[in-house]
Order: sequence, then C-alpha cells, then structure tokens
Amino acid sequence: MTTQTAPPGRQTLEAPPAIRATGLVKAFGPIRAVDDVSFELRPGRIYGLLGPNGSGKTTLIRLLTGMARPTRGRAEVLGVTMPARAVLARIGYMTQSDGIYPGLTVGENARFFAAAYGVRGTEGVRDALHLVDLDGRLDTVAGTLSGGQRRRLSLACALVHRPPVLFLDEPTVGIDPLLRAEFWAHFRALAEGGATIVVSSHVMDEADRCDELLFIRSGKVIARGTGAEVRARAGTDDLEEAFLRLGSDVEATR
Amino acid sequence: MSGRRILAIFRRVAQEIRRDHRSVALLLVVPIVMTGLITFIVREGQTPVVEAVVVNRAGLPGVVVADALRAALEKDGGTATVVADEATARRAIEDGTASVALFLPAGLAQAGPTTLTILTDGLDPFGEAAQASAVQRAILSAVASLTGRALPTIEHTTLYGTPTDDPIAPFAPAILGFLAYFFVYILTGVSFLRERTGGTLERLMATPVTRGEVVAGYALGFGAFATVQVVLLLAWGLGSVSVPAVGPLPPFSVGLGLPIAGSPLLAFLVILLASLGAVSLGIFLSTFARTELQVVQFIPVVIVPQFLLSGILFPVSGLPDILQPFVGLMPITYAVDGLRQVLVAGAGLATPALQLDLGVLAALAVLFAGVAALTIRREVA
Repeated sequence: MTTQTAPPGRQTLEAPPAIRATGLVKAFGPIRAVDDVSFELRPGRIYGLLGPNGSGKTTLIRLLTGMARPTRGRAEVLGVTMPARAVLARIGYMTQSDGIYPGLTVGENARFFAAAYGVRGTEGVRDALHLVDLDGRLDTVAGTLSGGQRRRLSLACALVHRPPVLFLDEPTVGIDPLLRAEFWAHFRALAEGGATIVVSSHVMDEADRCDELLFIRSGKVIARGTGAEVRARAGTDDLEEAFLRLGSDVEATR
Repeated sequence: MSGRRILAIFRRVAQEIRRDHRSVALLLVVPIVMTGLITFIVREGQTPVVEAVVVNRAGLPGVVVADALRAALEKDGGTATVVADEATARRAIEDGTASVALFLPAGLAQAGPTTLTILTDGLDPFGEAAQASAVQRAILSAVASLTGRALPTIEHTTLYGTPTDDPIAPFAPAILGFLAYFFVYILTGVSFLRERTGGTLERLMATPVTRGEVVAGYALGFGAFATVQVVLLLAWGLGSVSVPAVGPLPPFSVGLGLPIAGSPLLAFLVILLASLGAVSLGIFLSTFARTELQVVQFIPVVIVPQFLLSGILFPVSGLPDILQPFVGLMPITYAVDGLRQVLVAGAGLATPALQLDLGVLAALAVLFAGVAALTIRREVA
C-alpha cells in the first residue's frame, strides 16, 4: 500500500519546511485543544492528521492557517509567522463544512473565491473546476448539486489560486468510495506538483495514502512517521490498533 | 481596502439576492402593498355610525334635547332611541343593538355647567373614542339648533400647506422610511447569518479579504437593492398615474399621489443613509443569532422600539418625559424627521434640521459599519 509514497523524508531535508509549528499551544480556558505541538512539514508531501473527533485537529489547522491566534508558541507557513494576511493568498483551505454559496452557480462560486484570493485571469478557475470534473456544470446553482458535487466544488474553491500550501479539514467525510479515490488522486497530483498538503481525517483507512502521519490525541502529536514506521513502533499491522496502543501510552504517562 | 475584492463581494451579494425570488418580492412588492393598504385605510376609513340609546332623567327639557340630538345624529346616518331606564340601556349595549348609551341628567335645564354621561362597552378604545366625539359633535349641533346660535367652525391650515383633509400626507414619509429600514435589516441579517453558519465566512476569512471589505461589499450590495426599493417606493408614493377604464374595469389610479413639498432626490438620500445603517445593524446583530429564526426574534427588540419611539405612529411630543431621551437614540427617528422635513416642509440642504438628520444618519451608518466589522472575528485584521 505504501508503494506510491514520495521519496523518504531524509532526501527532501534540504528543502526548507513549508509549515513549521514550534511549541504550539491553544488553550480555551483550562482546556488545551492544542498542547505543545512542534513539527516541520516539507513541500511535495501529503501529511495526514489523524485523530478522533475533538482531538484538536481542526484547532491545529486553524492555528496554522492563522484563523486563530496561538496561546503560546509559533506557527509559520512559508517562512511567515501566522496569523499573517499576506500569506493567505498562498494557502488553500477546505473547511469541514462545504463553505460554498448555495445561491450562486458553480462558476460564480469559483470566480468569487478567485477574486477574494486576488487572482487575475480565469485559468485558475477553469483548471480547478476541470480538476474536480465540474467544468461542464458552470451554470448549475450550487444549492441544487448533489452532496458529492458540492464537496468537489468546495475543493475547487480551495484550489482556484493554485496554492503551494493546502489544508484540507476532513475533505472526504460523507462522500462515496469512488469520489474519495478521486480526491486522493487529486491530492497526490498536487503534491507531485510541489504542494504541501495537510489532510485531517478520523478514518484510518485513508492513512496509507499519506506520505506521513501525525497521530493527534488530546491536542498532542503522539506519533509521527510513515504508515510502516508507525505500525512497527506500535507492533501491530492494524493502524487503528496502532493508534489505540500509542494513545494509551500517552494517557498512561500523563 | 481593495476595490476589486469589495466589488467581488458586492457582485456575490447581488447575484444571491437576484436568485432569491422570495427576497426580491419581499423587498419590492410587500412595501408597496403595505403602504397601499395603510393609505387606503387612512384615507377611506369610515366615520363611525352612532347608534345611541338615550335615558332621559331630565323630564320635558330632556325630551326636547333628545329630539334635537336624534336629528343631529341621523344627519350622519346614526340613530337615537329613547329607552325607559338604565338597565334597558345597559342591556342594549351588552347585546350590541346600541353602540352608545347617553344619560341626560335631572338638572339638564338648570343654569351652570352640565355633565352628560355616556356608556360604551369598553372593548374597542379607538372606535369608542370616535363614537364619543361623534356624540359630542351631535350634542354641540343640537345645542346650536335649540338656542338658535350657530357655533363657530374651525378651519385648519398648515405652515407648509400640507392638506389637512388628507391624513396620510404627514404619515406617509414615516412609513416609507420605516419599511425600507425594516426590510433591509431583515435581509442583511439573514444573509449574513447564512454566511456565518454556512461556513462561507470562515472560508472567506481564510482569504486575504479584510473585514472592512466584507462590510463594504455588503453595504454596496444591499445598498443597491435598497436603492431599487426606495426608488420604486418613492415613485409609488409620490406618483399618481390615472389608468382609464378598460372593458369591465373601472378607471383607477396607480400610485398614492402623496403631496410633496421638497425634492424627491433628497428624500431618497435620507432613506438610503438609513438603509446603509440597517445593513450594518443586520451584520452586527447576526453575531448574536444562531438561526434565521433568531434574526426574526430580534425584531421586537430592535425594530419595535424604533417604531414606537420615532414618531411614526405616536407623535414624539406626546411621549412621556421619561421616554424622550430614547427618541434621540433611535436611528429611524432621524429618517422619519428627515423625510418629513423634505416631503412635508420642503426642506433643502440649507435647512439646519435636515442637516442634522442627514449628519446623524451618516454618522450612525459609519459607526454601525465599524462595529459590524469588529463582529467579524479573525486574528488577521
């Protein structure tokens, strides 16, 4: 299953990290949604943030996209400390909810987000809609699309400005296996084009499509590595089992 | 601030409203129906018909008075029936065969002030007040005919020449301003709430768009629709086009034909400034709502006090002292006053009162826009 992974991390070490978290903490009152997280993520790779609901994946993504300010620590994207508005033009963000305007057509939605990102010209819009196979439905009102089509439009809206860094918050929730496979093929193609992609998921069977996994539990990164590495460390072939074992270690040492 | 991004948001808002046929109907058709209905009721409302029962405790003089009273009431289509006693009169009111019972006191013929008592059922205060004043008029007219002395009549003229026989004239400007404000608030509030709950605002904030650009784009988008609405409303309110009889239809006129003293353009400016304030208010209040229903639930909190305290229905001068300070806090007060200044008093830009209204409306629009921008939360300005 790991045959399609990009070159191992060692070979890409020369490239500067696209995303860097340093001692990142986000506290909501006494609760630490993100608890002292540090990592570096490199271009051209797909990183999977894996963890149960409420483990802090979305908060972590919000810190990295500058949608929230860290309580402590630092989040950097493309060498700039977040939050920073200027960097936003180079980040693609697909939210958990579709985040598209149901009253607008497919084309209007994509063009609106392109304009919001400050994109001139129509190529980005055309390519993004072509990628998700919606270029034949430009004039369809988004509210009348099927759930899967809406998800595809949502992805396209995150791609209209050809971002070098892409955050996808549970992009494949509620879509059928066929579309899911399609999405992963898109992600892989974008990564091969040099993009840094962070995908959050609580579905373990998607993990092997990522180049590297970050297991998130109670706001902490409890394990990091390729699927094979994580399996070896946990001493099991089953990722779900590995997640549980690694997680219980953390719980025990707390 | 980037003009292109503001324009993109403006276009987005306009596209969405245009496809939302119900909102378009709400903005454009409903105010016309409402003002039409209000005008029709106020202009064509019926004078109450008095059906009186009279209890005569004054003996012979009372019979004469009762006769004169009957003659006066019948002139206006009313009736007056003399009944034997108070119990009968009360029963007549109770079962609805009479609208007013009038008691002529024993000392009626004596010199000095006299008090006549009337009795109504007390269920319909406005209607019964009208009944009471109709009875009062009939009594005056009866006294006049008995004494043979004609009573003086009052001729009412106004400083600005507003016709006193068209009750809607001073009332209409307020209604126009209020409706524009109200509908723009509702539409913006719901629209922005959808933006917040639908995840599009979160997504928009993940782009380089600034909060100011969002508010400016919204103000432009809904301002444009407010413009269309206001132009239509003013044309409807001020215009009067006679349509000749076609086939079985009788001739009728389209438009309310309200008399105006000032410039329609200035009236438009007043309403537009008020509407821009309503856009920001809608954005601001959508922060405190979780559902569209809650936006509607803010109406009693935000809109009704403005309706009551801005002099639309109840004259400001008639409000209790304790409420007076609040009048100045209501944005609609300035819209209503400004419209009256323009449409009724014929004020121009040189009129200080209008300058104050325009200034306050503009300041409120800017202030609310700033507050609205602050409610759009993001770490990146």
